[in-house]
Amino acid sequence: MSATAPSICPRCAHERLTHLTTSPVAGAWDVFQCDRCLYTWRTTEPARRTQPDAYPAAFRLTAEDIENAIEMPAVPPLRA
Amino acid sequence: MAYDDLRSFLATLEEEGQLLRITEQVRPEPDIAAAANAAGRIGENAPALWFDNVHGFTDARIAMNVHGSWANHALALGLPKNTAVKEQVAEFARRWDAFPVAPVRREDAPWRENTMDGEGIDLFELLPLFRLNDGDGGFYLDKAAVVSRDPQDPENFGKQNVGVYRIEVIGKDRLAFQPVPMHDIAQHLRMAEEKGEDLPVAITLGNDPVMPIVAGMPMAYDQSEYEMAGALRGEPMPLATAPATGLDVPRGSEVVIEGYFESRTRQIEGPFGEFTGNYSGGRRMPVVKVTRISYRTAPIFESLYLGMPWTECDYLVGPNTCVPLLKQLKAEFPEVQAVNAMYTHGLLVIISTKKRYGGFAKAVGMRAMTTPHGLGYVAQVILVDEDVDPFNLPQVMWALSSKVNPKDDVMIMPNLPVVELAPAASPAGIISKMIIDATTPVDPDRRGNFATPVKDLPETQEWIAKLQKLIAER
Repeated sequence: MSATAPSICPRCAHERLTHLTTSPVAGAWDVFQCDRCLYTWRTTEPARRTQPDAYPAAFRLTAEDIENAIEMPAVPPLRA
Repeated sequence: MAYDDLRSFLATLEEEGQLLRITEQVRPEPDIAAAANAAGRIGENAPALWFDNVHGFTDARIAMNVHGSWANHALALGLPKNTAVKEQVAEFARRWDAFPVAPVRREDAPWRENTMDGEGIDLFELLPLFRLNDGDGGFYLDKAAVVSRDPQDPENFGKQNVGVYRIEVIGKDRLAFQPVPMHDIAQHLRMAEEKGEDLPVAITLGNDPVMPIVAGMPMAYDQSEYEMAGALRGEPMPLATAPATGLDVPRGSEVVIEGYFESRTRQIEGPFGEFTGNYSGGRRMPVVKVTRISYRTAPIFESLYLGMPWTECDYLVGPNTCVPLLKQLKAEFPEVQAVNAMYTHGLLVIISTKKRYGGFAKAVGMRAMTTPHGLGYVAQVILVDEDVDPFNLPQVMWALSSKVNPKDDVMIMPNLPVVELAPAASPAGIISKMIIDATTPVDPDRRGNFATPVKDLPETQEWIAKLQKLIAER
C-alpha cells in the first residue's frame, strides 16, 4: 500500500475505509472504498475526487442521506 | 459476413481507419474517460479508442467509443462506413423483417480458457476498472450484455432477456445493479424476490458489435434479443452455455461474469452520470454476488463514456430505438413513413406520416406514447408530413415554424409514466407529455392557408445528380 493512505471518505467523511486493491505496478496507486457510502476511488485521481476539502458539495453524502435513500426498485411483498 | 467477437470487429475498424491506438502512457483517471468524452466532441466520424499503456497496470487492454460514430455504427452492421444515418436506419428496419433467426450453439467458447471462482474471484485483478465522470460513486460496467431468465417460465427462450444496465463494482465479487422498473430484468427480479429466491444472472463483457445494439433495443418481453441479433447479422448468433448458471451467452464474449441477485437485498449505489446528461443515484439498489468468471486469454475490457449528448451511448441507442417504434406504429398505421427516436433514447420522437383524415397525425402521436417503449420514454412527439425527413432537423424546424398553430396543434397531457431517470419528471417516474402536430391539416380539419405549397421543381432531382457529378469531377 502506498504511503499516502487516506483517513476519511472524501464524499461522506466516514472514518472506516477498506483497501480494495493495489496497482499491479508496485507503488503506483491504491483503490479504497468507504465502508458506509461505498464511494470507491483511486489514490491517483484528481483532488476533486479524492480530497474531502475539494470534493464537490453537490455529490457529498451525509449519514442521513444514506439512511433515507429509497429502494429502487422496492423489495416486493413475499407471496405465499 | 457478421463479426463473431469484439476482436474481429476491432481489426476491421483498424483497417478502415476507425480505431485509434493511444500509445503514450495515460492515467486511468481522468484520461481514459476524458479521451472518450472528447471523441464525442470531434465530429460524427470519430474513431474507437484503444489503450494498453495505462499507469499502474501491466496488462490492460481497454476499448472505448467502439460504436461512437456513424462510421463505426455502419461498420458494426457490415455497411460501408460512409452510409448515411437515414439509410442505416432503413437497412436496420429491412433486416428486422427477418426476425426471428434462431441462434446456433457452439460450445467451444474461447472464454472457457480461463476461470476465476470461489475465493479467487477478484474483479479488480481481472479488469482495468476506472471512473467515468467526477460524481460517479465508483467504477462501472456500463456496456455489458446481461442475461437472465423468467423464473416462472425458465425454459422459454424468448423470455430470456439480454439487456444493458448500469453496474457498479462495489467489491471484488459484488456488484450494485440498476434494473429500471420498465425493463425486462426488473420483472424477472420481482418474480424471484416475491418467492424469496435469488435470481441467476450472467454479465457478458466485450461482445461482437451487434450484441450491444440488440441488448439496448426496446423489444417485446417475449422476443429474443439473440434471434434479433441473427436478423441484424444476417446469420445465426453463436451462443454457448454459461457453466455456473446454464444461461445462454454469446460464444464470442471476452468475459462472462456469473452470479445471482441476492434476494430482497438493497445497497447504496451511485450516483452515475447517465444517458440523460444528468446524474442519478443515492438510492438503494439490488446486489449481485459473483460466483464464477470465465474469460478469454488477454481479455479486452470494453466500456463506453456517457454524459451530455452526443456520446457513444447516443449512437448505440439511436437507430435501435427508431426501428422498434417504426415497426410498432406501422403495424397499425401504415401511413407512418419514418421515425427519428434518437434523442435521449426516445424521450423525444419525430414521426413523419401521411394523414388518413383530419386529426390523424395527433392520434399517431398518442399511439407512439402507448407503445411498449413509449410508455416509459416517449414524452414529446413531433409529427411532420410525409415529405419531411425526420432525420433532417432543418426540415423539421421548418415544419414546426410554418405548420404549427400552438392553440390547436400542441397537446399537453398530465401525469403520465416515464422512466425515473428522466430529469424533468416530477415526481420521479411521472411527467406530462406533449404532442406537437406540425403536419398540414387535412379535411375535415380545415385550418390555415396551406393550399398552394411551393414544391421543388420537377427538374431539381436531375440537377442534384448533375451538380454532384460536376463537383466530384472538379
